[in-house]
Amino acid sequence: MSAGPYNYSYIFKYIIIGDMGVGKSCLLHQFTEKKFMADCPHTIGVEFGTRIIEVAGQKIKLQIWDTAGQERFRAVTRSYYRGAAGALMVYDITRRSTYNHLSSWLTDTRNLTNPSTVIFLIGNKSDLEGQRDVTYEEAKKFAEENGLMFVEASAKTGDNVEEAFLETAKKIYQSIQDGRLDLNAAESGVQHNPSQPGRTNLQGVLSVQQGGKDSCSC
Amino acid sequence: MDDILDEMTSAQDLKKFEREYNITLLNGNLDPKVQFQYAWCLVRSKYSSDIYKGILLLKNLLDTSSMERRDCMYYLAIGHARIKEYNKALEYINLFSTTEPGNTQIEHLESLIRNKLREKRDRNGSLIAIAGITSLISIFLMKK
Ligand SMILES: Nc1nc2c(ncn2[C@@H]2O[C@H](COP(=O)(O)OP(=O)(O)OP(=O)(O)O)[C@@H](O)[C@H]2O)c(=O)[nH]1
Ligand SMILES: [Mg+2]
Repeated sequence: MSAGPYNYSYIFKYIIIGDMGVGKSCLLHQFTEKKFMADCPHTIGVEFGTRIIEVAGQKIKLQIWDTAGQERFRAVTRSYYRGAAGALMVYDITRRSTYNHLSSWLTDTRNLTNPSTVIFLIGNKSDLEGQRDVTYEEAKKFAEENGLMFVEASAKTGDNVEEAFLETAKKIYQSIQDGRLDLNAAESGVQHNPSQPGRTNLQGVLSVQQGGKDSCSC
Repeated sequence: MDDILDEMTSAQDLKKFEREYNITLLNGNLDPKVQFQYAWCLVRSKYSSDIYKGILLLKNLLDTSSMERRDCMYYLAIGHARIKEYNKALEYINLFSTTEPGNTQIEHLESLIRNKLREKRDRNGSLIAIAGITSLISIFLMKK
């Protein structure tokens, strides 16, 4: 790994959720490796990826949890929602059932994350226009009604993949700047790296760890 | 926290899945799914005693149940790696790869484990080197 631990000022935790086979792992892989996996096996439990990005001149490390969509993993993957600053909720534009399940994914996300968590809806496999089963307009309407950001993307061509991850980070960063996201709150999903120059009133967030870690030390 | 081997279960999740598992035990209707969920949390515990228990439960599932073998092998590899039994972890990775070659999730885990193994060897190597130098110095001093 080329980037040392102190080369960024913030850590944002993301989760990627949605039905099995919608392309969650391919989106993550496209974002971190810029490659498409044509035959991707079902994820077991959770997979993890990172990438350092830049927002408003600040380096931010994204820690991304890619959850398995198969039903038998659902009970345990729910524990990864806690403390997520961003949630990418994915459906497959060629399979309506994956779109119909969005409200249950959204309910879980709302119940298990905090109000400042940015939820980004992704309609994946936009390259398969001929097999489209969900229109852009209805998904856009669903996103607006529920206050979600939204794009159609393709993990295969890479179309809109960067945008989805980066726009989520910009929104989170904006919440920090506006003071809407309380860095001192446990489980905000954001950590400030105190060795980097930053606003001094953020120093207190050192103790803000991800859900998994802080809760086992108590 | 920079990889899946560092990530840990929260105490409350561990309790929750332990309770579910114990209820099925008491009622005498062991459910492989419940056993797997509990074991998955155990191998991510910060206590090695929990990890050992998780490994036993997963091994039992792998040997006896119709649970997906790939799920068990993957978390057996993670469990062994988390208690620094890297060679045992690699055995499960190899076993996994015989049925499902080229799985990127498994390859990712394998490279993490091989890095840890290398670090461990380097550490041991430098300890031996230090021990060697110390004894040379003492021989030198004794001769004086
Ligand atoms: N044409 C096309 N195929 C895609 C795209 N994204 C993913 N796929 C294919 O869809 C299949 C499932 O993709 P995955 O990324 O494994 O899906 P997932 O959501 O991670 O599935 P689970 O891990 O089971 O939850 C794979 O065979 C991919 O090659 C895309 O944008 N376009
Ligand atoms: Mg996947």
